Parts: sequence; structure tokens; C-alpha cells
Amino acid sequence: MATSTYLSTPVTTVNGIDLTDQCTGATVNINYDQLEATSFGDASRKYVAGLGSHSITLDFYASFAASETWATLSTLVGTSTTITVQPVAGSESATNPKMTLTGCFIATLPIVNALGALGTISITANGGVYTTDITPA
Amino acid sequence: MSYLIASDKLGKIGDLYVAKAGINVSALLASGFITELAEVSTTEEEKPAKTKPKKAPKE
Repeated sequence: MATSTYLSTPVTTVNGIDLTDQCTGATVNINYDQLEATSFGDASRKYVAGLGSHSITLDFYASFAASETWATLSTLVGTSTTITVQPVAGSESATNPKMTLTGCFIATLPIVNALGALGTISITANGGVYTTDITPA
Repeated sequence: MSYLIASDKLGKIGDLYVAKAGINVSALLASGFITELAEVSTTEEEKPAKTKPKKAPKE
């Protein structure tokens, strides 16, 4: 049963800047390399976690106004930064975890302009250290 | 180096900005979200040496 409905409450920050009012989608991929650990005597394959290989994809409206998406993202291309995504604004908790990717790399900044539609920017930040904060600040 | 918040997207404008780990401060500076706080000197300026003006020789 679906229990999480994302309407207007998720909070998204990029490099400490709150871009929630420009964000329309966030995909957090928590991923670890799967290392084979099966040995003689095992009846089934076993695996252990290797290096973390996480990523976050964010979809924004393209706003060129001061302090908005372009101002925030254009200086981050080709550098590392920190991105946070939280389901609901407010204190972190077990039911409202703040997902943080620290030191993730933004390689490209694709800006989509289409006739009769709002411009959009979708970024994917790769790598970095993933943490989940459930302790109220 | 200290910084001041220059955009309400980061906090209260004019407050001291303390960067958390992983924040790209150079990008924030380049985009104008923060500004460098001019260093205030805590040492007193040296006073110029007191020199009495020479009196014009009497004729």
C-alpha cells in the first residue's frame, strides 16, 4: 500500500540553497557495489557491500532570477557539493528522514527550452557520501 | 575568512555565514549568495610622530 504522497511538502537543498519552490522531482539512488563473497562450502551465493556509488537526480524549473536555479547551479557544474532531500519540512525523524549526499559531483547542466513551455533543468549528482539523518536538529 | 549572507535563500541577510561540511563556498561567492566580510584590524593605527613646526628665524 502506498504510504508516501508527495505533494508540496518535500524540501530540497543544493549547496545549502533551498530550491524547494523550483523543484518538481527528486530521485535518490542509494547504491553499493555488490561484491561476491561465496566460497567453497556455500550452497548459495553470498555478497558483501563494496564501495558506495550513490546519486541524486533533481528536476527544476529554469529560473534565471537572482538566487534561483540558474544562479545556484551554474557555478556548481564541474564541482562537488552537498544535496539534501527531505520528505516533509520540519524536524528530522524516523518518519521524516533527511537524505544527504555530501561531496557529490555535478558533471552537466542541461537546460531544456521548449516553445510554449516552462524551461527546465535536470541535474544528476554522482558519488559522495550518503547519510540519513533522523535526529531532530 | 568570514562571510556574510547576501540572499534570503541561505538565511537572514547580513548574518554571519558558517559553511557546513561539503558546501561549495566558492560557488556561493561566485553566485552572490554570500559576500566576504572585510577583515577588521584589531591593532591601533600608528600615530604620526609629533613634530613641532620650526619657527621662522628672526630677522
